Amino acid sequence: MNFEWQVISNNFFFLMGGLVTTLELALIAIAGGLVLGTLVGMGRLSKLKSIYYPSTLFVNLMRTQPLILVIFWFYFLMPLILGRPIGGFTSAVIAFTVFEASYFAEIIRAGIQSISKGQIDAAYSTGFTYWQAMRYFIIPQALKNMMPSLITQAVVVFQDTSLAYVIGLREFLRSANVVDAREMRSVELYLFVGLVYFIVCFSMSRVCKKLELKKENA
Amino acid sequence: MIEIINVSKWFGEHKVLDNVNETINKGQVVVICGPSGSGKSTLLKSLNGLEPFQEGDIRVDGISLKDPKTNFIMLRQKMGMVFQRFELYPHLKVLENITIAPIKVLNQSKSKAGQKAMELLERVGIPEQAEKYPGNLSGGQQQRVAIARALAMEPDIMLFDEPTSALDPEMIKEVLDVMVDLAKSGMTMAVVTHEMGFAKEVADEIIFMDEGRIVERGTDKSFFENPESERAKEFLRKILI
Repeated sequence: MNFEWQVISNNFFFLMGGLVTTLELALIAIAGGLVLGTLVGMGRLSKLKSIYYPSTLFVNLMRTQPLILVIFWFYFLMPLILGRPIGGFTSAVIAFTVFEASYFAEIIRAGIQSISKGQIDAAYSTGFTYWQAMRYFIIPQALKNMMPSLITQAVVVFQDTSLAYVIGLREFLRSANVVDAREMRSVELYLFVGLVYFIVCFSMSRVCKKLELKKENA
Repeated sequence: MIEIINVSKWFGEHKVLDNVNETINKGQVVVICGPSGSGKSTLLKSLNGLEPFQEGDIRVDGISLKDPKTNFIMLRQKMGMVFQRFELYPHLKVLENITIAPIKVLNQSKSKAGQKAMELLERVGIPEQAEKYPGNLSGGQQQRVAIARALAMEPDIMLFDEPTSALDPEMIKEVLDVMVDLAKSGMTMAVVTHEMGFAKEVADEIIFMDEGRIVERGTDKSFFENPESERAKEFLRKILI
């Protein structure tokens, strides 16, 4: 078997363009998923039924759907709701943010629950409001506890973005796919793609491991 | 002044507070004791609204806790609380534990709050611990920091929820000494504790609770020497061994 690695260098900028799209999509989805997930995770702990039930419904609905279906939903649904096409990237961003938020929400809920109720009582007893107590005491401590799970989930998000390929978004995997259709060098291209995914994900999980060790020593 | 008027509370079917009446006057020290599960901690936590109650009313300086217009945030700024398990913020240094409420709640400047915090640490005898994290302090030191944290808000009333029961015996005294000083300085205090030495030294009134009710109340002499109820006699026998 003879490899022709020039296919990578010849199409390097095109492939890197796809990787940039993947990273953009992953970063926006992680950031958006974290913000939405924090609110939903707090909602899952709310005593107010009007907040608890919608949050719980949202989480259960999202976590029982295959991601690929959610991507389709938003791709076909958003233009209907908005009355105009919004493009693959935007609809993918929305789909990933909403979908991953449900997973982040459960991590954050568990993280908040890992902090003793006494901490919030202590904050209340000196005149802090609920939101202040969350911001200064509960979330910072919870974040530390849940950092490994959050990073693991972020790695999953990064890998998941390859599914945006089904709506024709030219992310990293799709770019390799396009090149392959023209050059017919599947083995080299997909080995390269796999290697890049490995490097990104492995380095993220190393960071995760470091943080876990730090937590144990603290 | 705190007035507790016919307060009852249920956890589901279980009545944890049963028609409790009590008045704590300004400058008074009231010790609440009783077996575990008697409702004493619940009563204490209902005084600053950490535990809601279904019936009756509590008035703090005339402000009713049952009034929907009552601002609990403002109310709690005047009522310091010390917990059994300290509940210091582990991610903040000792000094920050004390200054964060004055800075964020009362909008004090960092330098003013820091200065005040150092004075309070002097008062509880551990100024040298200011830059450490709570996890590096002994239990007794942590509880003294917790007292300083509550005092930093310059409260009119201090609530203590079993402040020494999570401590090793040799550390109990250092915390009680701080509390005795505080009592002698004229602070209004409600203290849930089994430390009868403390009660004898500074309590103006001792109330004994059982099954959500106040079954006996008295000054230290009448309570220790001549308890009326069987339940109180039995309790005292057990803890005074």
